[in-house]
Amino acid sequence: MKVKVDKTVVASIVLHLLVLGWGLFTFSTKAFVMPDEDVVAVDVISADQLSHVTAGMKSGKKENPKPLVEKVAEAKPIDDATGKVTEKAPVVTDTAPPPQPKPVEKPVEKKPDPPKPVAKTEPKPEPKQVEKKPDMTDPIAEALKKDEKKHPPKPQASTPPPQPQKPKDRTFDSTKIAALLDKRDPSHLAATGDTLNSNAALGTTKGKAADNSATWGAMFQQQVERCWKKPYGGLDNQNPEAAFSIRLKRDGTLESSPAPEGTPATPYLRVYQESALRAIIECQPYRLPAAYFEEWKFFAPVFTERKS
Amino acid sequence: MTDKDLSRQTPFRLSRRQLVSGMATLGVLAGIPVRPASAQKRIIVPEGEFVPLPIAIPNFVGGSPADGDVGVGVTQVITNNLKRSGLFVPIDQAAYIDKVVNIDAVPQFNNWKSINAQALVTGRMTRQGDGRLKAEFRLWDVATGQPLAGQQYFTQPENWRRIAHIISDQIYERLTGEKGYFDSRVVFVDETGSKERRVKRLALMDQDGFNVRYLTRGTDLVITPRFSPSTQEITYMEFGQGEPRVYLLNVETGQREIVGNFPGMTFSPRFSPDGQRVIMSLQQGGNSNLFAMDLRSKSTTRLTDTPAIDTSPSYSPDGSHITFESDRGGKPQIYVMAATGGQAQRISFGDGTYSTPVWSPRGDYIAFTKQGGGQFSIGIIKPDGSGERILTSGFHNEGPTFAPNGRVVMFFRDLGPGPNLFTVDISGRFEQRQPTPGFASDPAWSPLLS
Repeated sequence: MKVKVDKTVVASIVLHLLVLGWGLFTFSTKAFVMPDEDVVAVDVISADQLSHVTAGMKSGKKENPKPLVEKVAEAKPIDDATGKVTEKAPVVTDTAPPPQPKPVEKPVEKKPDPPKPVAKTEPKPEPKQVEKKPDMTDPIAEALKKDEKKHPPKPQASTPPPQPQKPKDRTFDSTKIAALLDKRDPSHLAATGDTLNSNAALGTTKGKAADNSATWGAMFQQQVERCWKKPYGGLDNQNPEAAFSIRLKRDGTLESSPAPEGTPATPYLRVYQESALRAIIECQPYRLPAAYFEEWKFFAPVFTERKS
Repeated sequence: MTDKDLSRQTPFRLSRRQLVSGMATLGVLAGIPVRPASAQKRIIVPEGEFVPLPIAIPNFVGGSPADGDVGVGVTQVITNNLKRSGLFVPIDQAAYIDKVVNIDAVPQFNNWKSINAQALVTGRMTRQGDGRLKAEFRLWDVATGQPLAGQQYFTQPENWRRIAHIISDQIYERLTGEKGYFDSRVVFVDETGSKERRVKRLALMDQDGFNVRYLTRGTDLVITPRFSPSTQEITYMEFGQGEPRVYLLNVETGQREIVGNFPGMTFSPRFSPDGQRVIMSLQQGGNSNLFAMDLRSKSTTRLTDTPAIDTSPSYSPDGSHITFESDRGGKPQIYVMAATGGQAQRISFGDGTYSTPVWSPRGDYIAFTKQGGGQFSIGIIKPDGSGERILTSGFHNEGPTFAPNGRVVMFFRDLGPGPNLFTVDISGRFEQRQPTPGFASDPAWSPLLS
């Protein structure tokens, strides 16, 4: 028996499948939602984590045109502070390895940094700046220099491009702890300008430095929760959720009334949304880190009982 | 005229293929989720604890000096209702900065913010020229300064409490998203006298314990009163001179009649949601079965036919199912079956025995009395047998009945000297004693009066 198939139906099915399949893969997005409480509370993270969180991308395009300003005063840009205190003499102990012919930090001074508005003005090789200051003479460095003269560096047998050498085991001498201290005066000067801006460069949008929402988000959450009188929803889990767009001023007060996202579908959801709105308004001003103002001046708090 | 000619004349006519692909594209486009600008960070404020809402209810002003007292009375009734619900914390009037609030003016919200009020109720009571009482109120959101609700009512002066309950319901509904339950009554068995010579009378009161009326004289023993959905009639069981019988009583006229004329004892009556039928148990020998009687035609329908005791039937709010208690499985348990009879489904499987099931007006839960481990507990369970939850335990709790909004359960507890009425929220919170003139048992909550 021959089954007659309508070509248009087949074409329609195939077309539907194609379009829907294409749509499934093309439009599947995952909302960027803050993870629950694996928030890094700022005061407990380690130095490692901090540097990781605030690390930018060296090769990234500069997206923040504002110069680094840490103090409001007459504009006086300074050198890029990063890397200024990097040069540090190795500690000499009895069993310390013989000093290396070249300091490892060599490339830092000559390699021009990616263009930064503040650093542009006076690019200086840093070691020179250190040496200029007479009070910065380091006894250890002096000792090192003398030592270097005594033992001139021996060229190695095979001299391919210099390779970082494996650090040898060093023993710790508790009597020479003082030698570990860097006795130079701090060379950092505050950058001045019209308005405060603690981020010299935010890197690209994919850099991690710009995303500090875990920190200020947790602070916002803690503050707004104190004012939130959540309405009683009974036993039924209605999975309520109320999202708003809010704009904050520098002093933490609301710039305008929070704008709710969407219209609640049930009376309870309306009440839930209103309770959240009351909480946002009541709890202002919010005390959030001024350094991240650019991030928290406009964001979307989402009050929810949905388990993600 | 050929198709080609037609298509030339109607340039917007689509071919079938175009239509199909167009619809598919539209479908796909409609499925694309609308999302806010990706630059905006979304900060999650997760599930918080429920906190009762601080509300300020300054005294309703009087339209004339003579109306001041009724204004104060209405304010007290509203305050008491909202406080007893457990969902609100009325702020002490002594803390108010504005003692008198003009209902016609926008309140000074800063004065209410400073005492942490989140909602504000203002109102006025005015005696009209025709003798009626005019009640007005406004509900304000203190944080946003927006009006949330506002109404005015006219009534006879003696109904001022009723007006206060209606206003309470409006406030409750607007601030919780749930229907209120304050404009309702409770019928119960009032008990007086010593234990040996206890006099039991049917009594009716407002849900807050005021306006108590006695419906029977106490010469005969009465139990299990139940409200009709019309709220004008009550059905109950009375032990008279002969066998115990189910009666129907009109609350307004005082008229009463026997429901049906069966050989044998009838008990555990309850109305159907449309008020047209009464379902009850009829004892036959050592067994009892369920029957439904049409109140107009007086025709009866047998719903169960088992060699067991089937009793305490209760309709689902849509009238399609009934829940009842039966010992057909060995000991009393709760069953659910179609309102027309047929196969019954057991839904209670915990330790102990389950009795007096009653279906919530919301339809989501069935309340019951559970006996086991030397304790009587009041609990709720979903009609499919899941979500069993004990609300209160002890000696001796019994006879649950739901508030009209299905959020609160009333029951009676007898700690020895005599029973008293209690209410508890279906989450098990806010348990409190219900004020009654004396000992009280067997409560049944009416539907909303308005």
